[in-house]
Amino acid sequence: MNQRQRFIRKIVYACAIAALLLPLSWLSQPETTAGSEGGLLARMRKEHHLSQAALGEIDPASETIKLVTLGMRGVAANILWEKANHYRKVEDWSSLSATYEQIARLQPNFVTVWVFQSWNLSYNISVEFDDYHDRYYWVIKGIDFLKEGTTYNTEEPRLLSEIGWILSQKIGRADEHVQFRRLFREDDDFNGSRPLAQRDNWLVGREWQLQAQRLVDEKGITVRGKTPLLFYSQSPMCLINYSEALEEEGTFGEVAKSAWRKAADAWNQYSNRDLPTQYNFSVRLSEKEIYEKRSREAQDELTRLAPAGLREEMVSERLAALTPQERDAYDTPDAQRTSEQRGLVPVLDGKMKIEHVQFADRIKGENHAAALKAAEEATQCDFIARAIDNQREIVNYDYWLLRCQLEPNDDTLAARKLIYDADKAFVAANIRAPELYVEGFKNWRKVLDAHPALIKDSNFTDELADSVEHYRNALHQIDETLPKPFILQDVLDADEAYHGALGRKPRFETSQPGPGEADPTDPGPPGAVKQP
Amino acid sequence: MTLESVPPIFWNWIWPALQFFLQAAAILGCTALAVGFLVSAFRYGPVAGGDITYRMMRTGVRDMIALSPRRILALAWLAVQESLRRRVLVGFGMFLLILLFAGWFLDSKTNDPATLYLSFVLTATTYLVLLMALFLSAFSLPADIKNHTIYTIVTKPVRPGEIVLGRILGFSAIGTVLLAAMGLLSYVFVVRVLNHTHEVELASLKTTSGDTGATRAGRTTAAQNHRHQVTIDADGKGSTDIVQGHFHLVDPQTDGEKTTYVLGPPQDLLTARVPQYGTLRFKDRLGQGIERGISVGNEWKYRSFVEGGTLAAAIWTFHDITPERYPDHVPIEMTIRVFRSYKGDIEKGILGSLVLKNPRNGRSSRMETFRAKEFTIDSRDIPRKLADEKGKPIDLFDDLVADGELEVWLQCIDSSQYFGVAPADFYLRASDASFGVNFIKSYLGIWVQMLLVTSFGVMFSTFLSGAVAMMATLAAVVLGFFTKFVFDVAQGAVEGGGPIESLIRLVNQRNVTVQMEPGLTRDAVQGADAVFMFFMKSVTSLLPDFRQFSNVDYVAHGFDIPPDTLGVQMFSGLGYVVAVFAIGYYFLRTREMAR
Repeated sequence: MNQRQRFIRKIVYACAIAALLLPLSWLSQPETTAGSEGGLLARMRKEHHLSQAALGEIDPASETIKLVTLGMRGVAANILWEKANHYRKVEDWSSLSATYEQIARLQPNFVTVWVFQSWNLSYNISVEFDDYHDRYYWVIKGIDFLKEGTTYNTEEPRLLSEIGWILSQKIGRADEHVQFRRLFREDDDFNGSRPLAQRDNWLVGREWQLQAQRLVDEKGITVRGKTPLLFYSQSPMCLINYSEALEEEGTFGEVAKSAWRKAADAWNQYSNRDLPTQYNFSVRLSEKEIYEKRSREAQDELTRLAPAGLREEMVSERLAALTPQERDAYDTPDAQRTSEQRGLVPVLDGKMKIEHVQFADRIKGENHAAALKAAEEATQCDFIARAIDNQREIVNYDYWLLRCQLEPNDDTLAARKLIYDADKAFVAANIRAPELYVEGFKNWRKVLDAHPALIKDSNFTDELADSVEHYRNALHQIDETLPKPFILQDVLDADEAYHGALGRKPRFETSQPGPGEADPTDPGPPGAVKQP
Repeated sequence: MTLESVPPIFWNWIWPALQFFLQAAAILGCTALAVGFLVSAFRYGPVAGGDITYRMMRTGVRDMIALSPRRILALAWLAVQESLRRRVLVGFGMFLLILLFAGWFLDSKTNDPATLYLSFVLTATTYLVLLMALFLSAFSLPADIKNHTIYTIVTKPVRPGEIVLGRILGFSAIGTVLLAAMGLLSYVFVVRVLNHTHEVELASLKTTSGDTGATRAGRTTAAQNHRHQVTIDADGKGSTDIVQGHFHLVDPQTDGEKTTYVLGPPQDLLTARVPQYGTLRFKDRLGQGIERGISVGNEWKYRSFVEGGTLAAAIWTFHDITPERYPDHVPIEMTIRVFRSYKGDIEKGILGSLVLKNPRNGRSSRMETFRAKEFTIDSRDIPRKLADEKGKPIDLFDDLVADGELEVWLQCIDSSQYFGVAPADFYLRASDASFGVNFIKSYLGIWVQMLLVTSFGVMFSTFLSGAVAMMATLAAVVLGFFTKFVFDVAQGAVEGGGPIESLIRLVNQRNVTVQMEPGLTRDAVQGADAVFMFFMKSVTSLLPDFRQFSNVDYVAHGFDIPPDTLGVQMFSGLGYVVAVFAIGYYFLRTREMAR
């Protein structure tokens, strides 16, 4: 190659570079002046809120780390994750924590990193420590880590919600929740100038949940990784849990009443919020009964429009269409059905069910159009009511609604206070314990009579059956047995139905068996495991 | 600090190491001669080839004997001047920059800042110095050869060995000066960053009266992301609890009516403990001797566990326990891991006991109980005057130490709870060495690594071009840092197969546990991998394990670097330098211009 050829080649290269610069400029020109919108990439970044400034704080350290990896950020992050796994294996917690920081700096806008690693710190690493002070330190470290994440991702409700979750659930529900809640109240470094009365993990957790909600409500940002149903339930649940925690720690009276009322208000607000469902329409949890009523009215209209005996006629037709085996299964009472017949039940249900539209279709003449309209109305209302019911079941809506309604009542508060005092007296071997239990149970009887639905909830019967167990043990200490008939026998029966007769074990061991109770020295049936 | 293997004793190590070195040198030397002969015989015929090989060997020996220190120093000085010309001080500037902005990248809320900052400065120094050594050494000779400036040297009465050695020494000298400067800066940086104090929050002080008068307890203000609990005696003096691995002494200062409490600088933060380790054995729940305790299912097998409420025990036997070494008391330090099989009382730690026993007659001290503290060093003193199990007074050295040996029995008292221990978790704190000296010792480890990289760089540059020599040196360093992993891959101990099989898995995104489908492809891949793995094994066996020269863990965790470890590092480093120098010399001899 001679000098001329080399020169021509250089010119060609220069022209090619210049030609490539034009589309590059069109694509990636930054938004430099007020009037300019920048290149295509700059416009897309703005449109999708992906520019660094739109995501959150621009940290020079993070930007430097990203730059010095020279486009090998993924590789560097991978190596750091491997290192983190190694440090976790060899229990080098300081290095692990430092590595998490580096990973976060390398990928500050990768929200999962913040969520995953904060969970590791608060939940998985904290429990590696035996001393609960150390555990608390690591729980808070996880929360601080998330808080740092929110500065890089100012428009990410998931991070705010996670902070609220760890603050409330980890501190309030861990095995060490009594100690954690105490440490949280004493934690000046975390709480700063927050007044002592507001230093409750549930209330502080709720503050963060509300911040997350505001971001979604006001800026229209989508919550990722959590359904709106659960996302919005967390704030009222914090208030409910706060009220429960107050009572667990012995705070009753006006303070508890006011806390429960606030919780009830919050639950009502939640009930009246539009929540999207998987069926592409939104529902309100409070409106199930409205739709059920509308369905009933439509069905009544349908019945009114139908000729007399139409439904019975349709049932007869369907019975006639059944095979002999199906007919046999249909006629056999449920308890006497064979396993094969039980297998046929879903098929039978399908064949025997008369849909509203099918029913309306059989109404002929001038009522036909009105009947179809009523059937459609009933079908739609049933569908929406079922959708609401599904949503309600996920958040245990009915139970919490009932709790919010009955807990602020004087009878309930008195019952809880008496049982709390009785438990304390029992632990302190105070002879007043049985008397307090009796008073408490009397109050619970009143509450149960006013709200019979309570007994259907196993959480409630669990809790009350525990108290009865304490009472039984308190009586045992004074050589007495549970009075018969027992005032809360229905609760015990319900509890037994949930757990089975052997499901509940005495919480307080007794040295000698009570009258009619099993001898603890009895080895029990062959193969039975003896409790230590 | 965790010690996965017992540090070698220098005098036990040196003779086997020397034997191995000589054997390896002999085998490699003979192999090199054989290969040299074969190449020469192929090119010039067997007789001429034999003659060339013989002359090569003879001149080699003569060159080695006749090495001139004066000429070597002159060449080393040339290398230093060349380094300065090539802006070697840029590396130092980069280090300054890193230190200036270190605070941005480090976890400011760490619970162990000393470990973090010390690890950081030592690691940063290592990488920078090694990079600098790599660039200096790999490009120097090839550049001289390319620019023909090498002829200004080889035309003078200089031997090839002197050229190689002169460059190694010159580049190492400049590296040593830089390393010393970096060490000094690092020391100042760490001391400055970690130094802090607090104030006692007077409002938090609460008075309690006891046997020794009224004591006051409260807390300090927060500084560097932590605060301490403080206890002040009736005389106004006191100390804080240990947080982030240090504590402060409290000194009262009265100004008229007003008394303020001044906290001193952090104590025990930058230390160099000199531990005396013992040998560890275990007893099982029935009191029978076993090699290891129970596994509680941890992936990491470093510690094993003793069951509480049984005869299970961890027993350390210490040697050379004399009144001269421990005239007042025997300071012990332990780090115990706890495993609870049930929750128990959360407010209290798991109860354990310590008993000192005479290994000969079984006489023992009265049991001392303690609550286990995890992930922190629990320090205690064993006084000379003790009581036996019946409460009779005994003397530590007269009654419990036999021929300088003492046994310490550790048991867990709480039933069905467990203590996890490893040999290095319990030691006698024989003395404290100077932190500054320990810091310097850690830099000696880095210095050896720099010397090795320089030697490898110069050696590769005798027969490769600059860029290729740099890549080869870099490969040697990377392999040296991951020796264990590469060796494990070469031995098939790592799941996922050899290099080619792993590559296929990566591309296909197949899990390492999924077997390759039988067939020709698998056989071909595994056959090729076997060849690769043989070479990997051979290469990693010859290359230095760079991690063995690192003393970061010792310094970062506050332990003195054992002189034996340092001796082993220096001598094994020297062994590699000699071997690499010899190889470099022979390669340079093969070059036309060096003849």
